[in-house]
Amino acid sequence: MSLLTIPRETLVWLMVAQVLVILPHLAHLPLWIVALWLGCGLWRVRIYRMQASYPPGWLKGLAMLVVGAGVYLSHDGLVGLDAGVTLLIAAFILKLVEMRSRRDAVVVIFLGFFAVATSYLFEDGLLAGLFSLLPILALLAAMIGLQQSRLFGRPWPAVRLAGGLLLQAVPLMLVLFVFFPRVGPLWSLPQAQTRGTTGLAEEMAPGDIAELSQSGELAFRASFSGELPPRAALYWRALTFEQFDGRRWARGPSSHVMRAPAWTPQGAPLDYSVVMQPSGQPWLFALDVPELPGGEAQLMGDFHLQRSRPVEAALMYRVRSWPAAVRQPRLPQSVARAGLQLPAQGNPRSRAWAAELKATHPTPQAVVEALLRHFNQAPYVYTLKPPPVGEDIVDGFLFDTRRGFCIHYAGAMTFVLRAAGIPSRVVVGYQGGELNEAGNYVSVRQLDAHAWVEYWLAGRGWVRVDPTFQVAPERIEQGLVEAVPEERALFDDSAIALLRYRDIGWLNDLRLKWEGINYGWQRWVLGYQGDEQLALIQRWFGSVDYRALGAGVVGALAIGMAVLALVLFKPWRNVRDRQREGYARFEQALARHGVRRQPGEGPRAFGERAAQRLPERAEAILAFVRQYEAQRYAGQTADSVALDRALRRVCRQLRWRAARSRGE
Amino acid sequence: MLSELEACLTRINAVLLGKEAQVRLAVTCLLARGHLLLEDLPGMGKTTLSHTLARVMGLAFQRIQFTSDLLPGDILGTSVFDRDSGRFVFHPGPIFAELVLADEINRATPKSQSALLEAMEEGQVTIEGATRPLPDPFFVIATQNPANQGGTFALPESQLDRFLMRLSLGYPAREAEKALLMGGTRRDALAHIEPLLDHTRLHEIQAEVARVRVSDALADYVLRLVEATRTQPQFAWGLSPRGSLALLAAARAWAFLDGRDYVIPEDVQAVLPAVVGHRLRERADPTGLGGGTLVQWLLREVPPL
Amino acid sequence: MSRFSRHRDRWLDKRIPRAKSVVLSQRSIFILPTRMGVAFLIVLGLILLAAINYQNSLAYAMCFLLGSVYAVAILHTWRNLAGLRLQSGRTHPIFAGEQAHPWVRLESRSRAHQAVALGWQRAAMTLDDVPARGACEIELALQSERRGWLRPERLRVESRFPLGLFVAWSWVDLDIAVLVYPRPLEGEAPTVQGGEGDEEGARVVGVGADDYRGLVAWQRGDSLQRLHWKAYSRGRGLLVKDFAALAGSDLLLSFDALGGDPEARLSLLCHLVLAASDAQQRFTLQLPGRTLGPGEGAEHQERCLQALALHGAPAERAAA
Repeated sequence: MSLLTIPRETLVWLMVAQVLVILPHLAHLPLWIVALWLGCGLWRVRIYRMQASYPPGWLKGLAMLVVGAGVYLSHDGLVGLDAGVTLLIAAFILKLVEMRSRRDAVVVIFLGFFAVATSYLFEDGLLAGLFSLLPILALLAAMIGLQQSRLFGRPWPAVRLAGGLLLQAVPLMLVLFVFFPRVGPLWSLPQAQTRGTTGLAEEMAPGDIAELSQSGELAFRASFSGELPPRAALYWRALTFEQFDGRRWARGPSSHVMRAPAWTPQGAPLDYSVVMQPSGQPWLFALDVPELPGGEAQLMGDFHLQRSRPVEAALMYRVRSWPAAVRQPRLPQSVARAGLQLPAQGNPRSRAWAAELKATHPTPQAVVEALLRHFNQAPYVYTLKPPPVGEDIVDGFLFDTRRGFCIHYAGAMTFVLRAAGIPSRVVVGYQGGELNEAGNYVSVRQLDAHAWVEYWLAGRGWVRVDPTFQVAPERIEQGLVEAVPEERALFDDSAIALLRYRDIGWLNDLRLKWEGINYGWQRWVLGYQGDEQLALIQRWFGSVDYRALGAGVVGALAIGMAVLALVLFKPWRNVRDRQREGYARFEQALARHGVRRQPGEGPRAFGERAAQRLPERAEAILAFVRQYEAQRYAGQTADSVALDRALRRVCRQLRWRAARSRGE
Repeated sequence: MLSELEACLTRINAVLLGKEAQVRLAVTCLLARGHLLLEDLPGMGKTTLSHTLARVMGLAFQRIQFTSDLLPGDILGTSVFDRDSGRFVFHPGPIFAELVLADEINRATPKSQSALLEAMEEGQVTIEGATRPLPDPFFVIATQNPANQGGTFALPESQLDRFLMRLSLGYPAREAEKALLMGGTRRDALAHIEPLLDHTRLHEIQAEVARVRVSDALADYVLRLVEATRTQPQFAWGLSPRGSLALLAAARAWAFLDGRDYVIPEDVQAVLPAVVGHRLRERADPTGLGGGTLVQWLLREVPPL
Repeated sequence: MSRFSRHRDRWLDKRIPRAKSVVLSQRSIFILPTRMGVAFLIVLGLILLAAINYQNSLAYAMCFLLGSVYAVAILHTWRNLAGLRLQSGRTHPIFAGEQAHPWVRLESRSRAHQAVALGWQRAAMTLDDVPARGACEIELALQSERRGWLRPERLRVESRFPLGLFVAWSWVDLDIAVLVYPRPLEGEAPTVQGGEGDEEGARVVGVGADDYRGLVAWQRGDSLQRLHWKAYSRGRGLLVKDFAALAGSDLLLSFDALGGDPEARLSLLCHLVLAASDAQQRFTLQLPGRTLGPGEGAEHQERCLQALALHGAPAERAAA
């Protein structure tokens, strides 16, 4: 066995695997890696064709230095997930060039496996998952190639065998996937930086949310166990902005309070589960007022849900929401102060208008209604392209341009309410979503991002109000695209594609189906973590603890292996040997009485000789031999029962004889 | 069917005294549609055996005495110009008989030998472009003298392979020889033998023999035997596939003679010395075909189960 | 270590008894992960750690998939040996110091067995494939040192196919025995002639080309070159000249007549036997308690060499 040379098959499959492993990583790898990859690939091919030699030691050292420097420059350091993965891929590429022995090839294969695993941290969709089977297959084929005796075998049998191994491994994998205990992270690791960049941010200027609204990218999906609530009731809260500095809205103190204020559930609750796309931010989305039985996140002082860590991978959580709940009926002083905060100066016209409203209307509720009436009746326009305003943005919007987007309306209304002495804040999140009737779920995209207002009334607590509804009710009832039909050009590709499909019936159906599959994938595969696992297993087996679970897994694996062994070895094909075993026992029984079969003695000859030696038992012995002969040579169907019976008769008689001879 | 064969055996044994085992093997050989090579010193009853077999089985008998000047035409036949018809007329040679005794086959030249052996193998004769079928059944008993004598042409291995069995009659036992001495001349006895079968009946029996069952386990035993000859060091060469086929055919006939419709390992063992003895050679013995010890080794060492 | 290997051998003798032909079954196959298999598990552990820390279901799935492949590989590797039949083949006798080349036949009864390795030591294994319902033959090398029967230790048969994560192996004793003749040692034989006179010892031993013996009648198959044409022209018919081989006087090779260390004497005798055979000389070999011959030819030579090889050894087995 030549341990040094690498078979051609392995080399071919390693090159294929390299392409397949690196492809999904391309999106987040620096460009120079591609150049390195092409150069090294060419070199390897030339080595194989004996047109080039292996790289010398100094070149390898230099390459490592260059790669290190490149990673440092591209990722601002050598730590972090992105830098680590880039280093891993670079090692994978470089190792392939300098690979000489079979042991080197094994190192390359293992690096490849690890690189495939890291690709899931960046992209874990259904397609990515299925695609990753290809590099795994190629790497397994390379492993098989390493073991083959021929150096120049054909590549297909290896990949066919690898495919067979994978298929046979699938049942065991499913058992492990379902039952292997999912524990929480053991320690925190650097996260990928290249994902979760779109979405709501900690603070927002009016323009930000408009930009966000032009993307068709998915934010989350929610599936309801009961009937879907009407679209206009779907206000998904993410954050509240309490702090206004004259230009930007930002989170205020109550959104950092780690304790939920007092609230009383009322009316009927809604049960649903949310599968969230990675957002890179720690907050979750829910309808008011959410309870999380799984305890994934904390309900904060402003009723938004916050997790200790950012959502870096698809996350699934179950929610029970009480839409009619009374929130914080008594307002603490600090919250009231925050809800009334305004910059010291600026926007004088708005302040004056607020004072006027306060004077002319007796109750805060009347002020709110007057404001809404104003938005409804005055010539306001809902647009994604608000014209620029001057230094006082609220004044400019309310009295001059009168053109704006939801954040403008929400911001302006909050400003006026605060100026009129009513505690209020801007709420950002998503509104509405696309109903997928087949799956009874709602897909919420970035273009559903929205901002609205909530104000506090003594006795009623916080009340939600949406000024945008007064200006463009179709935004709430149908969606953003319907609200601004002439501004379609603003949307990005994903949103436009979405719009185009909507007009073609069957294509839209297809799209919705695909969405459904993806949602199932996210819900049942990606979201299958600790609590989800326990819930599922409890649903199946009643309450279980991890010990019983462990025993169950081991048992299931053993059964799986046993079934596989049966399929592989097909023991039922060896029925014939039952006769041989029977004859062996017959020989053993006779051997105890000193009659031994010679190696070349045939079954009948031995039987006759034994019958002669033990004349009293001749009949039983010959009967057994006849039975054996009939089954083994005369084509009678194998009947181990009859053979056993004849054998037992021989044994019984022999025992009796032995007992008698002892007695004598 | 079996009783007829038993009667045949009895009758042959009445003429050829004390040779029951060899007679049984010879009949086995005939039933298995194989040819027989008798190797013995002169005067041991080779001719008597052939004669008796032919008569009892009701087969047309011809004897060819092989000599060094025997030509292939003397065996196969020649075309002779016939004045009356003005054409060449084919005069069939002695080979056109159902049982042919080729006496002292190693006396003839290889050319004549191969004429006979080819006819044996193919069951037909091609003379002057015309192919003529030999009678069916067609059974050749060739005899040869084992002693190294001048002017003989030993059959090469490839030709020996064409005989299903090689038998040696050997000296008769004392009792048998005494009976022989006291009895009348055997030629007279021969003349009085009535045939018990005819060739259609023999045909039927042969067809029946070919239907004797060979189980998987038995085929494995035959394969083990053949493999042993191919892998063990003391064998100069292994058995050919023709050899293994011959072994199985002979075992079938033997089982049939024993009244069974299936073969058991003992049948194979019974015919093994006669069937493979002349096909094997010991490596340590480059001259001659001393297969005897090898056969004994096979019988002793190869597991029949 | 030696005590361990003795124990192991005794245990193996019971478990896998010596036989010319061995079918590998569950009793005789052992299986353990290779170094590569352990490394693979470490890689899986790293992937599992990543899966746990990133709560990534796909990484979990991949870890479990490869783990299951690992488990499935146990069965496949094991199956790659199970049912394989090993049979030792013929081995020709050799002279001491030479390499014997016993070969082993690997035979499949059903499926193909790929990349099966065979050898005496782990370091030097020969790799080959056994086709489905077919066989392959592997020639091994075995260094001989002393005359007598050379019995190698147990043969290791192993397979790492398909993934190299596991090695399934067995130790089989295929009853391989090579007869080793003494190493021929050049030297002069003390001239001891068998028999009394020279001429009496010379005998005609058959047809040959040495000595003209007379004219005999031509028979078909006689060479035409030996036809006696003169006699034919005189009308005496076809006659051929008959030649006979004439053997020289018999040679006596005696152990007792030689001096020195017994092994050296055997070596010298071995050389003399070979030399006599090369010269086609009749000879007699005398060993203490045994006399072979007189005789000549390959068979006699082989018998004599065998006697030399086994001289003084307990009668262990019948001549192969």
